Amino acid sequence: MKAGKKLAAKILRTGLFSSAIILTTFASNAEDYLIKNATVHSATEKGVLAKTDIYVSDGFIMEVGNNLSVKLKHTIIDATGKHITPGLINAATQMGLVEIGAASSTVDYSTKNENQGASFTIAPAINFRSTLIPQNRINGLTRAIVRPAGGTSIFQGQGAAIALLSNENGLLSSLNAQYASYGIAGANISGGSRASAYAVLDKALEEANYLRHNRSRYLPGFDWNFSQSVEDLDALKAVIEKKIPLVISVHRRDDILKMIALAKKHNVRLVLAGASEAWTVADEIARANIPVIMDPILNLPGSFESLANRLDAAAILNAAGVKLVFTGVNWRSTHNGYLVRQSAGNAVSYGMPAEEAIKAMTINTAEVFGVENYGQIAVGMEADIVVWDGDPLELSTSADVVLIKGIKQPMVSRATRLRDRYWDLKDIQKKAFTR
Amino acid sequence: MTYLNIFPKFPVSILSVAVLLMACTPEKSAEEKPAETLEPFPSTYQAIPSESFIIEHATVLTGTGKQLEDASVLVEKGKIKVVGQNVFVATDITRYDGNGKWVTPGIIDVHSHLGVYPSPGIESSADGNEMTAPVTAQVWAEHSVWTQDPGMQLALAGGVTTFQVLPGSGNLIGGRGVTLKNVFARSVQGMKFPDAPYSLKMACGENPKRFYGSKGRSPSTRMGNVAGYRAAWIKAQAYREKWDKYYESIGSKKEKDKPKRDLNLETLSEVLRGNILVHNHCYRAEEMLVMIDIAKEFGYKISAFHHAVEAYKVADVLAKENICAAVWADWWGFKHEAFDQVKENAAMVENAKACSIIHSDSAIGIQHLNQEASKAMAAGNKNGLALQPKDAIKWITANPAKAMGIEDKTGTLEESKMADIVIWSHNPFSIYAKAEKVFIDGALMYDRDDRTKQPVSDFDLGITDPEGERL
Repeated sequence: MKAGKKLAAKILRTGLFSSAIILTTFASNAEDYLIKNATVHSATEKGVLAKTDIYVSDGFIMEVGNNLSVKLKHTIIDATGKHITPGLINAATQMGLVEIGAASSTVDYSTKNENQGASFTIAPAINFRSTLIPQNRINGLTRAIVRPAGGTSIFQGQGAAIALLSNENGLLSSLNAQYASYGIAGANISGGSRASAYAVLDKALEEANYLRHNRSRYLPGFDWNFSQSVEDLDALKAVIEKKIPLVISVHRRDDILKMIALAKKHNVRLVLAGASEAWTVADEIARANIPVIMDPILNLPGSFESLANRLDAAAILNAAGVKLVFTGVNWRSTHNGYLVRQSAGNAVSYGMPAEEAIKAMTINTAEVFGVENYGQIAVGMEADIVVWDGDPLELSTSADVVLIKGIKQPMVSRATRLRDRYWDLKDIQKKAFTR
Repeated sequence: MTYLNIFPKFPVSILSVAVLLMACTPEKSAEEKPAETLEPFPSTYQAIPSESFIIEHATVLTGTGKQLEDASVLVEKGKIKVVGQNVFVATDITRYDGNGKWVTPGIIDVHSHLGVYPSPGIESSADGNEMTAPVTAQVWAEHSVWTQDPGMQLALAGGVTTFQVLPGSGNLIGGRGVTLKNVFARSVQGMKFPDAPYSLKMACGENPKRFYGSKGRSPSTRMGNVAGYRAAWIKAQAYREKWDKYYESIGSKKEKDKPKRDLNLETLSEVLRGNILVHNHCYRAEEMLVMIDIAKEFGYKISAFHHAVEAYKVADVLAKENICAAVWADWWGFKHEAFDQVKENAAMVENAKACSIIHSDSAIGIQHLNQEASKAMAAGNKNGLALQPKDAIKWITANPAKAMGIEDKTGTLEESKMADIVIWSHNPFSIYAKAEKVFIDGALMYDRDDRTKQPVSDFDLGITDPEGERL
């Protein structure tokens, strides 16, 4: 309770917290930490802070400064010579929705249920005991946007945000975005043409808006002459009301421009995903204030809609003022979701400022998906903190300490246990008894 | 060019047996030689003529386990002449200042599908898997290669000078792989690495049994897989014996009728003769050990296990059997057989003194093999090993060269080897490292600072803009 009072005092002082956050904080069992003498990549306008201390209490960052001395009981983490970033977030994963890609009984990210398009909500399927969560966590990924994929509708449904905790406290928000496809994928699902896909999206948004204003006319049992199911149009209400973004996977330059126009027409918050050729219309995207989810390592002309893919696309978009949100690496953004760091590193190698790249896997993602109190090393943020043993974008760098919501995570996963079992190959038969 | 000229260039073929035997008989014209002794698709690769040059004051990773500081690499006539410190060349040759730069052998990918699964990935050019029967040793990956795959130039920009194109893993025995130089050519023959042995792609595990099992035919299980390999090798043994007896009888009174050619068994019998190297897609420990026993049963050698996710569990056996483990740094979980991946896999294989290789199997990954090797090295070091760049560079140069049977020609910076060389902007194990200059046989094939020295494929021309460039 003492800690609770202390936090309450802070809240009064900083005025940063909502009442909802206080509730979650009091439920946490986080220790207090004083992290000393780190190079802090703050993901704020302050950029990199040299020789900086961070005081963490009750799961929150309470102080960031030089030579902090806090009298209360805490554990000291010496980070001299080390780097700190906010825990990283990957903006497009199926974390908790797949254990083994080719084992369908372990896969929950799509549905063949034709009644569930926009209304397909993946949060209930998330398995927080998945082996993927610790394997990503020990490598510095502390949060993930979890999204549906595939299915039988042009709308894939509603995604969630999670913290990479191995229990249900990991669920942060269960309805943080709606997903749809355009381009080749949208065309395939709509009858074979982009023109059909465009019509399907346009009509669905129009109907959702109509229904929002006329809902009382459509009681259960009445005729339903809409293009989507009642549940699906109801689900699109949050998009129409701009409560959540509409994330559209789209690659070709002209397709991107069509989607920008569509979003303007229906007054929805568009987020472009994939967006291989976005850099060719960077100024238009910046002007429309539309964020882009991308994996900067992708540079193949992998399809006829992504011919202009290139390694400096992130640098070009960033320079034009587009808010970037990173995923990756390549098709392995779930099992190897932590490798978003490698994708970001390539973006930097090809011209994007390092601190902007770090924002694209922390605060930018938080802002686009409404993940609150996360994504910066700043007072009032939840303490998702990674202590790295070197430059956080460098390949030779590993995570030494990982805090999620102020809780220090064990640096153990199924993979590290397999490694330890086979580290030496003596007395193989005795391995049966090593745990 | 007639095949008379070409013939001696191909010691690695069925010829090695035939030529030996024929040496005892009066000279025959090539026309009289049996058809199966010809190399039907000979390499027409010719190194681009190049001038001598020296790279000076660079940090050089030789690929032989050495890191030399402030060192030079002297190249003459497309070959490496000298590698070392205090190399002075008085003559007026091109000099590249290597100050602050790193130099490595050209990067080699032992597992690529460039050209057979090209970009863009569309059904009309997906030509990597002949999944019409579980054993298709008669197909050759080179006959699917689209030489204008734009992925090849991107790989070159990642420092890749040589890559092995393999058939896919849908079949137990998928066909012949081919080793290519990463050069522009109108034909696949124009890319074929001179005198490189062919390879045979084999596949364990989930892929063949899933595909054929779903068709209601064998194999539908892993035990079905093993029965399938063994049945194929039994036929290959009989075929080989039949031909050997025929060769022995040539010129004698009891000259046998010439056996009928079978392209499938011809390839397999060449494996049994040791002329084609086996590259075996195999994830799990127990399957690798079964494959080793099959190889012993039929008397062939496995050159490398590919995608060897569980190599770390059997690294001691791989060391003893002299089989390379070609692995990804960290891919895991997409299949059950990829579930036990550890990030330390390559490092643990190296630590067991076995041959560790980082491969790509990806047109993205092949551009960043240095990054993949770096992650694998870092994982081993974080757990207590002391691997250095001079060690890990072998995983993407000398070791794949060894597995592909071209280690006497490329893969290290040693005198008289092909001058396949990369100059890097930084330590190649850094995320910030870029291949700045890439040489193949001494010719500057890619220069990051000079757009006129950056090749583009036919595909790239005018594809996004009639007058502009895709990149």
